[in-house]
Amino acid sequence: MRMPEPDAGIIARRSDIIAGLRKIVPGEGVIVDEDELRVYECDGLSAYRQLPLIVVLPETTAQVSAILSFCLAEGVKIVPRGAGTSLAGGTLPLADGVTVGLGKFNRILDIDYENRVVVAQSGVTNLGISDAVRHRGFYYAPDPSSQIACSIGGNVSTNSGGVHSLKYGLTTNNLLGLEMVLINGEVVHLGGKHLDSEGYDLLGLMTGSEGLLGIITEVTVRILQKPECARALLIGFSSNESAGDCVAAIIGAGIIPGGMEMMDKPAIHAAEDFVHAGYPRDVEALLIVEADGPEAEVEHLIERIEAIAKESGAVNVRISRDEEERLKFWAGRKAAFPAIGRISPDYYCMDGTIPRNKLAQVLKRIGALSKEYGLGVANVFHAGDGNLHPLILYDANKPGELEAVEEMGAKILRLCVEVGGVLTGEHGVGIEKRDLMDTMFTEDDLKQQQRVKCAFDDGHLLNPGKVYPTLHRCAELGRVHVHRGQFRFPDLPRF
Amino acid sequence: MAVEAARVNDDLIEALREIVGPRLSTSAAVCEQHGRDESYHTPHPPDVVVFAESTDEVAGIVKACARRQVPVIPFGAGTSLEGHVAALHGGVCIDLGAMDQVVAVNPEDMDATVQAGVTRAQLNTYLRDTGLFFPIDPGAEASIGGMTATRASGTNAVRYGTMRENVLALIVVLADGRVIRTSRRARKSSAGYDLTRLFVGSEGTLGVITEITLRLYGIPEAISAAVCAFPTVADAVNTVILTIQSGVPVARIELLDKRQMEAVNTYSDLEYAAAPTLFFEFHGTERAVAEQAETVQAIAADLGGENFAWATRPEDRDKLWKARHDALYASLALRPGCRGWVTDVCVPISRLAECITETTADLEKSPLIATIVGHVGDGNFHVVLLVDPDQAEEIAEAERFNERLVMRALAMDGTCTGEHGIGHGKMDFLIAEHGEAVGVMRAIKQALDPDNIMNPGKIVRV
Repeated sequence: MRMPEPDAGIIARRSDIIAGLRKIVPGEGVIVDEDELRVYECDGLSAYRQLPLIVVLPETTAQVSAILSFCLAEGVKIVPRGAGTSLAGGTLPLADGVTVGLGKFNRILDIDYENRVVVAQSGVTNLGISDAVRHRGFYYAPDPSSQIACSIGGNVSTNSGGVHSLKYGLTTNNLLGLEMVLINGEVVHLGGKHLDSEGYDLLGLMTGSEGLLGIITEVTVRILQKPECARALLIGFSSNESAGDCVAAIIGAGIIPGGMEMMDKPAIHAAEDFVHAGYPRDVEALLIVEADGPEAEVEHLIERIEAIAKESGAVNVRISRDEEERLKFWAGRKAAFPAIGRISPDYYCMDGTIPRNKLAQVLKRIGALSKEYGLGVANVFHAGDGNLHPLILYDANKPGELEAVEEMGAKILRLCVEVGGVLTGEHGVGIEKRDLMDTMFTEDDLKQQQRVKCAFDDGHLLNPGKVYPTLHRCAELGRVHVHRGQFRFPDLPRF
Repeated sequence: MAVEAARVNDDLIEALREIVGPRLSTSAAVCEQHGRDESYHTPHPPDVVVFAESTDEVAGIVKACARRQVPVIPFGAGTSLEGHVAALHGGVCIDLGAMDQVVAVNPEDMDATVQAGVTRAQLNTYLRDTGLFFPIDPGAEASIGGMTATRASGTNAVRYGTMRENVLALIVVLADGRVIRTSRRARKSSAGYDLTRLFVGSEGTLGVITEITLRLYGIPEAISAAVCAFPTVADAVNTVILTIQSGVPVARIELLDKRQMEAVNTYSDLEYAAAPTLFFEFHGTERAVAEQAETVQAIAADLGGENFAWATRPEDRDKLWKARHDALYASLALRPGCRGWVTDVCVPISRLAECITETTADLEKSPLIATIVGHVGDGNFHVVLLVDPDQAEEIAEAERFNERLVMRALAMDGTCTGEHGIGHGKMDFLIAEHGEAVGVMRAIKQALDPDNIMNPGKIVRV
């Protein structure tokens, strides 16, 4: 994984930069000791580590604004960081960059039930929003598995989903407004409590931009009334193909379940051993399908889904009788990652998304790759929206195994793109999939994306080295910024 | 505009002819027709209209224009309400009406890919034997390309969202004639900047959208409709708020004000109470829609709702909804010969009753004749001002009224347009609403269209 060459000039000026930042954020908000910096050296993609130059933890939007203006003036790179749970290395620090942590932006600012809206600072956890409104029967719908820890600002940056995004959408479908700070320190407000704003959809553009366009300080999201009733079915199949067919048949019948998750045999066994959710061990694939809504509708949907499952060749159908049992069905799925962690020293989680009708075909090819590389694979995925999470099992202590995993992972993602899918459904590109972007996008597509970057940050100071395989000077893209006869950043590294 | 745009010359016409052959016109009638939409805005005809049949042709046309820095104005069905198709600086109008092919339908994935000129009704006719439908319905017989470019919505956005939520991917011809694909058919993506959303609602100012991949939905098993009159607008709006809060997945909720109901009674020979009235539609299973209607009836009764009527059979539903469907024509009939100036503000739903009440009071003080129709589930409402375009003073009065309305909406944390877009009619309001963010929009426009040839003079001034 190649990152931009650190700028020795910046590193040499470290103490000046620290002094400058301390003027903006006094006291313990500027972290400089190696031991304390260690905490920030990686995120959820822990295979890659790098100590940041400095970490700064602002408490107000005005401080974020001052930090960005300062960094722009000094030519210092910035890595924004929420809770550091990225699975794609989106917050991997830079040796010559300041990591701006938003952990202190942890307040909920406004709860507005009439408009079904919560306004929160960007460091508030995903679950923190649901917790704040639960007593009134509301919740925030996107629910990434890391929801107890991940921040809402980070969710916006990667357009996070979760097990319920099939019916309730991703972050982008539940986001109404943002306060963000641009690289020049300008504070911008986008959207609000009303429906879509007019003009360019900057809110949509910011969602999933992985910290390359600005720093998000405040978020306005839609909250929903908890459905009156929810019940789940646990459906076992003797092959992945028939489970895949069942998914297609349910959707084809016009039913959009609240959640539709699939696990393959290795994942079922690992989860069952860990949480004893009562999963059948003698099946090849397991579907968890949840119907939610008014009671009358749920009953009817459960009947229809059961009938479809049987037609698709289900060998085992259980329907949750009460809330306790429903939660038990889900417990295994939600604990799938830690469960895999128990059976393998390391695992590598992929995030490709494919058109639903290619499910069986892709699973078969993943099986073949698993044999070819001699690496185990456990599959858990959001079957309803075609979002795969193959977990490649490996041991980082065995020489060469990580490299083999990376190669196999890349093949899986290329396969996803080949069948009409995308590299990442909800984790983002970060550094992990950066070098694969050209399999999904043409050179022209990527240049166009970088033109957008130039409109926000033509010096490439915000989170450089992430998402895009090649940095283009904005001048090359047809927008020349000449200052006193010189390019503003003449030694911009290319990699 | 800083630099005067180059004009169309014979050399360009020749280049265009090489691409589209005889499908090109410079006749005054054709140009006039392509510079006009369904709004009160003054038409601005382009210098030439070309009728494209493929993405490659569009790319060729844009390249030819880019080389000469001549403006390009995409044209779908011409149903815009904010002057989006006006050729303010002359130039080449690309009529995409002939790009009317449904490219692919994937029933298992519930998506379809269509060329930009396909209309909403055309797509739904094509889909009719698949059990699927495309829900967004802006009323007019708009093209999917135009609906994408203006981020259109309609009466059922409360259930299905706007175009923003329903476009999965686009093929776009950029300002220099290159062609990009913004995403793929996967349901979700977090790969790179979301250019799909950037182009949705960009009103032709960043590129020409030639192909669109859309989400489809299963046709609901059952649909029921209900109508209920209320003593005041506030009671009606509170009913809507409580309905949504109690988790009833309502598919449409429309409000017609007292004057609109009077107009409809006269025009369609109906006998509804002359009072603010809500029209509901529920989608779901048989049992679910019955239950939803009962829940709403109970809420409405608590708030003084009267004569709650509901129906499930299609002919009965159509009868109940007839008043809503005829609303625009009923309004226009209040003053024969006039044109409708349709405003489009949108506010948080908690401020909706207040905003409509103040707007009604404002109307009563003004000489303007107007009716109010609202997509109240989204906090979006339209005042239909009936104006005579030849009366300058009347147009000026309507402008002042609209400005007060927009400022009122902005003060209530709302937006100047819920679904019609900015065009060149609302550029100043955009600045009032977004402040600094307009600077970002301008920077994006300059980055993606440095010569300002794509539909110049719309959304942001360069």
